[in-house]
Amino acid sequence: MADDYRVIGTPVVRPDGAEMISGQAVYGPDVTQPGMLWGKILRSPLPHARIRSIDVEKARALPGVTVITARDVPDRRYGYAIEDEQIFAVDKVRYVGEPVAAAAAPDEERALEALSLITVDYEELPAVFTAAEAARDGAPLVHDELGPARSVYLASWNPVHGTNIIHQASHHRGDVDAALARADYVFEDTFHASQIHHSYMEPHATLAAARSNAVTVWTCSQEVFQLRTLLAGLFAIPESRMRVINTKVGGGFGGKIEPRLEPVAVALSVHSRKPVKIVMTRAEEFTAAAGSTPATVTVKTGVTKDGTLTVRDIDFLWDTGAHAEGLPPSNRAMKDGNGPYRVHDLRISSTLVYTNKMRGTQLRGLGVPEGAFAIESQMDMIAERLGMDPLELRLKNILEEGDINSIDDVVQSIGLRECLVSVAKEIGWGEPKPANVGRGLSVIAKSPTTHSSISSAYVQFNEDGSAQVLVGASEIGQGMSVVMCQIAAEVLGLPVEAVGIASADTGTTPYDRGTFSSRVTFYTGMAVKLAAEDARKQLLEVASRMVEIPQDDLAAAEERVVSPAHPELSLPFREVLERAHSYERPILGRGTYGGKGDYPTLPHKAQRKEYVPGWKYAAQAVEAEIDEETGIVRVRRIASAHDVGKSLNPVSVDGQIIGGVVMGLGYALHERLQFDQGRIVNPSFMDYKIPSSQEIPEIKPIAVEVPLPEGPFGAKGIGELAIVGIAPAIGNAIHEVLGVRLKELPLHPERVLDAVESQRKRNGG
Amino acid sequence: MALLELKVNGQEVRVEAPDTALLLDVLRERLALTGAKRGCETSHCGCCTVRVDGMAVHSCVVLAVRCEGKAIATVEGCGDGMELDRLQRLFLEHGAVQCGYCGPGMLMAAQALLEQNPAPTLDEVKKGLDGNLCRCTGYTPIFDAILAYGRGE
Ligand code: FES
Ligand code: FES
Repeated sequence: MADDYRVIGTPVVRPDGAEMISGQAVYGPDVTQPGMLWGKILRSPLPHARIRSIDVEKARALPGVTVITARDVPDRRYGYAIEDEQIFAVDKVRYVGEPVAAAAAPDEERALEALSLITVDYEELPAVFTAAEAARDGAPLVHDELGPARSVYLASWNPVHGTNIIHQASHHRGDVDAALARADYVFEDTFHASQIHHSYMEPHATLAAARSNAVTVWTCSQEVFQLRTLLAGLFAIPESRMRVINTKVGGGFGGKIEPRLEPVAVALSVHSRKPVKIVMTRAEEFTAAAGSTPATVTVKTGVTKDGTLTVRDIDFLWDTGAHAEGLPPSNRAMKDGNGPYRVHDLRISSTLVYTNKMRGTQLRGLGVPEGAFAIESQMDMIAERLGMDPLELRLKNILEEGDINSIDDVVQSIGLRECLVSVAKEIGWGEPKPANVGRGLSVIAKSPTTHSSISSAYVQFNEDGSAQVLVGASEIGQGMSVVMCQIAAEVLGLPVEAVGIASADTGTTPYDRGTFSSRVTFYTGMAVKLAAEDARKQLLEVASRMVEIPQDDLAAAEERVVSPAHPELSLPFREVLERAHSYERPILGRGTYGGKGDYPTLPHKAQRKEYVPGWKYAAQAVEAEIDEETGIVRVRRIASAHDVGKSLNPVSVDGQIIGGVVMGLGYALHERLQFDQGRIVNPSFMDYKIPSSQEIPEIKPIAVEVPLPEGPFGAKGIGELAIVGIAPAIGNAIHEVLGVRLKELPLHPERVLDAVESQRKRNGG
Repeated sequence: MALLELKVNGQEVRVEAPDTALLLDVLRERLALTGAKRGCETSHCGCCTVRVDGMAVHSCVVLAVRCEGKAIATVEGCGDGMELDRLQRLFLEHGAVQCGYCGPGMLMAAQALLEQNPAPTLDEVKKGLDGNLCRCTGYTPIFDAILAYGRGE
């Protein structure tokens, strides 16, 4: 099939690569404006306290300095799902790091000096630091009132008022209790995922310029349109006067979706009447931006003697910190919590709880890694008990084409079996190995996005016959730019170099829901494909009038209009464009994708009203050396196979897989935000270690191609799953060598040693 | 304030800066050379890597005044300003640049490594990049680009 395409499936180099590797790309911290001031934020030193008073007199007395607090900004709440936040703390602070005041000055030192002159009188309140504590009756309340929820979430929002439980959901099918009673074996285990940090290399940075009742915001964001809507509402100006322009984004991983610096920067600019730039320090990133949303997961699984999974009962308890950005992961777990398994009776419940800590938010794979660690660890425990090979047990129970999945959809375009078989082969599953070496497997799945997941695109022709793609999605490093150019080039009959792209500027590009949840290749890709087809149609219309040949007999190839029926015809695009631009009208192709009704070819739907195609599947295998004396786990090899639908660009696909695997390695082995009484005690790359070049194992990325009919050229998204299965696979490898089961992440040496020690004690050693 | 005389990418420049100014801040804020990035405050990320007399250094912990009389090289000096050099091209071909924020620092670290050791082994490459973090690529494509350079590709 690859042979049918000129550009799709080839390793085209990114159009934005040169500017990045030559240092010319302008990232958030690189933006400047004439007369710009620097902003700094005063943050709460306490996890929970009433604000008795704030004295800003002295700070305001500094020349050239603007100082603002909650009194100076609109009294409105905001949040993408739950509106539980204000620009500055009002009446009380809820976590260490919450903004209390801000200053803008000609340089950062002066702004910091101003902050040092502000005095805040706090009255400390009792605080809660774990989800379990916070969910108890009588626990101190992080928010006295819950909500409100924004309209898209209202229907599915289920808070428990008067508690810290901001959302509870439950989904069940069949008779779970009866099925558990019938099962030959029932396994019940509880697992804990840790809170990790996104650790994109580029810190958050925003420059806001409020000028003559219009505001321009330059920021590094995954979702500029959501941000514009939010900022326009917050400052009560029409969206036409609020322009959000994305800078180059130095990594996001879910951490640059929701607003961070933007509201404060706009407020400072409004008050100082100057452009204001704020850049987070790395310490602020670790203590005041966000981390992942960690969960405690309890899984009950019933199986028959022959190893058929019959029933699962899964319970998630999520710690969202002081703001409810953990809602998407907690909801996602309702669909993805069971993993890619065929289970007849199923119950999943999910509880999201506020605590007095920095918020948890979405992080690559949102909600899936936490569940997969539990499910995939327990699968090996089941295999051991039944005396089965973990590979066999998985092959017997994974979803196949036509099965009914956890949300009652019919499974389509699944390449999971091939993924699993290929990673097992690659890692040498079942082959002899030294006693200190273990191997582990995992299979994982992620559902597509649902909430109003719309993308749109424009494709226009330039005067010389080359083309321009405009999309509202953000390039955050994932390689969207090159893939969109490839799609347009393929449709338009242009070489890929003749297609340019502009993205994520609410002043020029069309609406897109944003870059998250591996959705851009699929949704934005389809929008670009439709827009390019529309542009081609318009081009051929003009050409048809020029050469007086019916449009249906015309085609676009190699920058020319040609016709199989008239082999002598060879009209350069350039001439058609000259005609269009001079005598007719510019060619502008438009495409939108993701609305209801965009997936007409789907197989039957069992129950749910809204079906969205594009489940993603993957299998991962690791081989690790375990040192029993030190507890150190050295991963030697990893294979990661993904059912990508169709690989649009093999370099980008491999890059997403390898990058995700290495992030998964950090998540598995050492990453964890550590708190002491709500205060993060490891807020630097010295104390919070992400994987470095020295610990990179041999990684084999594998792309399995089972085309998704609804996707662009059959493609699915790929961005997230590679992070997900590494932790359980390593846990399984550790178990194979040492016989101990670690149920809490990360799997660092002390934990390994502790587990070995308690096993010795249990065995009377 | 002091008047610093620096030699950056082969050019002599004079710039006013406080005595305590760090090289990274002088490059970025006073000379508008924003290729070197700031990713931390603790000398742990390497996004700010530039070369001083050939050595790869974290410019966020080097006083600018200490660099007077030395040759400072930043990413802006690679290639001829329009065309990429061979190492830059290999970075792109191997997918060593995703978000690209670590890229300029990685490139400078790689240059320093390759100058000392024109055909490094994989282990030597890993060691040579120890001061540079990347959150996107998983490093492997960066290793591949540097190894390919060593092979003369
Ligand atoms: S900025 Fe992180 S090492 Fe210099
Ligand atoms: S490419 Fe993003 S940090 Fe390296």
